[in-house]
Amino acid sequence: MSAIEKFEEILENRHQYAKDWKQRTGGKVTGWLCTYVPVELLYAAGMLPVRILGTHEVQDVTDRYLFPTVCPFSRDALAQGLKGRYDYLDGLTMSRTCSHVQGTFDNWRNYVPIPFSHYIWLPCHRESPRAVPCLRGELLDLKQAIEKFTGVTVSDEDLDKAIELYNTNRRLMRQVYEFRKSDDLPITGAEAMEMVVASQLMDVVEHNKLLEDLLAELPNRKLDREAGLRLMMIGSEMDDIVFVRMLEELGCTVVIDEHCTGSRYFWDDVIPEEDRLGAIARRYITRWPCPAVSSEFNDRGDRIMQHAKDWDTQGVLLYQQKFCDPHEFDIPSLAQNFKELDIPTLVLEFDVTIPFGQFRTRIEAFLEMAELEVF
Amino acid sequence: MITAGVDMGAQSVKVVILGDGKVLARSLVPTGFEPLEAAKTALDEAIKSAGVSRDDVKRVVATGAGRKSATFADSSLTEVTADAKGVNWLQPSVRTIVDIGAEEARGISCDAQGKVLDFAKNDKCAAGSGAFVESMARALEIKVPEMIELSLKSTKDAPINATCAVFAESEVVSLIHSKVEKADIAHAVHDAIASRVASMVRRIPVENDVALIGGVANNAAIVDVMKKHLEVDVVIPENPQFVSALGAALSAAA
Repeated sequence: MSAIEKFEEILENRHQYAKDWKQRTGGKVTGWLCTYVPVELLYAAGMLPVRILGTHEVQDVTDRYLFPTVCPFSRDALAQGLKGRYDYLDGLTMSRTCSHVQGTFDNWRNYVPIPFSHYIWLPCHRESPRAVPCLRGELLDLKQAIEKFTGVTVSDEDLDKAIELYNTNRRLMRQVYEFRKSDDLPITGAEAMEMVVASQLMDVVEHNKLLEDLLAELPNRKLDREAGLRLMMIGSEMDDIVFVRMLEELGCTVVIDEHCTGSRYFWDDVIPEEDRLGAIARRYITRWPCPAVSSEFNDRGDRIMQHAKDWDTQGVLLYQQKFCDPHEFDIPSLAQNFKELDIPTLVLEFDVTIPFGQFRTRIEAFLEMAELEVF
Repeated sequence: MITAGVDMGAQSVKVVILGDGKVLARSLVPTGFEPLEAAKTALDEAIKSAGVSRDDVKRVVATGAGRKSATFADSSLTEVTADAKGVNWLQPSVRTIVDIGAEEARGISCDAQGKVLDFAKNDKCAAGSGAFVESMARALEIKVPEMIELSLKSTKDAPINATCAVFAESEVVSLIHSKVEKADIAHAVHDAIASRVASMVRRIPVENDVALIGGVANNAAIVDVMKKHLEVDVVIPENPQFVSALGAALSAAA
C-alpha cells in the first residue's frame, strides 16, 4: 500500500486508529480544536494529540448549544462530541483564538463527559514583547495540569524529543510541498490534503515514517491526468476531500494552500532554545498566523503572496466557513493583491454541506475565465 | 456552418440554431422532470423551424444548470461564459451583464471581445430570481402579467426586507393584512428582487453599458426597478431569454 493510500485509510478510520493506538501503547488520547494548541507538549507527556474535525453531514444536535450564526465547522465538530464519536478521548484542549470554536470547547466539556480538559490563554497582542513570556506561563500551566492528570513528569529530554519529532514532521511535509512547485506534478491537492490531515490524527513517529516513504515514491510518481490550471486554496479549516477531488476533476490542480488543515498548521518550526517552553511559546506567537489572531502585522498577506509566486499560482480559490468574520475580512484585500498580479480569484462560502451543482458551475466558469488568460 | 446552442435552464430549455452568423431559429420547451427529453424536443422543433436537417447541424454545445443532462451535445460551457459570448455578439458595447433566470441570478463583467473578467452568482437562495416573482404572484392570487401591470401603477413604496423567498412570502401576507394596495405590494416584490440582484452585481464592477438578460428581463416592472437600483440605464437585447443558448451556439461555431 502506498503512503498516500495509508493516509486515506487513516482518515477513513481515524477513530479506530486512535483506539488501537491507545490499546497498543496504554497512552492517553487528547483532542485538540485549534492549531494554536502545542501538540509537541501533549506528545512529550506521552499523549496522542488528535485534531477534532467534522464529517460534513447534516446534523440536528447542536442548535441547543450554539447560535445559528456559529461557523459550520464549530457546529460540525461539536456534533461529533455530542454523538459520542470521540468517546475514547481522555482529554480535550483548546487555545484562545476564535469564539466560535470556543463554543465547541465549552459545550463539549460541559455536556460530554471528559476526564481532562485545558484551555490555553493565547495572548492576542502577539507583537508585544510580553507575548512570548505570557504564553510561556500558559504552557507551564498546561504542562503542570497534564503532569497532574497523567502522573508523568515531563522532562527536558521528553520535550527535546517531541520538538525534534514535530520539527521533522514539518520539514518532511515542506519537502513534499516542494515537489508541488514542479511543472510535472507528482501529487494532487486532495492527496496533499490527506497527508496533512493525517498528520493531525496520527502518532508523529508513524506519520514521519510514511512521509519518508512518500518522499521516496514522489520522484517516480505522475498524475493520471493533465494538471490543468495551477490553483492556490486560501481560507479557514478545510478537510472536505470530496470537494477538493471534485474541484480538481474540473481541470485544475491545487499546488499550494494556506489554511489550518494545510500549510498554516505545519509551516513553522520550533527553534530550539535552552528554555524549551519559551521556544515552543515563541513558535506559536511568531508562526504563520490565523486571521483570528492576526493584528497589527500583515505577515499573513505577505506570506501568502510569496507562496503564490513561489508555487507559480495561476488562479486562487478564496473560501471561508460561513460566519467566519476574520477570514472574510481578509478576502477583499487578498483578492485585490491577486488582481494586481492578474491572477483571477474565486470566492466560495462553505457550510456543513455544500451545494455541489452550484459550486461546480462557479468553478467551471472560473476555470473557463482563467484558462483564457493562461493557456 | 450550422450549429446549435442548447440552454438547459431550471424552468425551460432554450435552443438557438445559428447558420453563418445568423440566427435561423429559436425554440423553448418547459424542462419538466425529463430534461433530456425536453432538450431533444426543443432541438427538433428548432431544427424544423430553421428548415434544416439534424445532419446539417455540425456541432451542438450545451449550457445552463442542467448542461450535463444534454448528453447528445458535443461539448458544454457554463452559462457565465455563454452569456458573455451571446451578449457580446448582440451588443459589443456591453461591459456588465445581469442575467436573471428562474432559479438563479448572476452578474458578469466582460471586455470588448466578450471575455469574462469576473462574475458573481446568487447563493442557495431564490429571492433574486424568477421563481420568486411567480411565488409572490400566487400569494397575491394574481397571474404574473397582471402583477407586472399592477406594479407599474404603484404609487407608494412598501417595505419587504426579506433576503429569503420563504420569509418574504410571510412579509407579503403581513402587507395584505395591513391593507396595503396590491399594486404597492407587487411593486415591493419587484423592488426587493432588484435590490438583492443589484447588491450581488455590485460585487463585480458595474460599468456601462449594462445589459439585462434572462427570462425575467421580459418583466417590465423588474426592468424599471433594476435601473433605479443600479443607477444606470439598461440595454435589453431582443429575446433576452435566448442569450445563453445563442452564446453556446456561437461557441459551437468558433
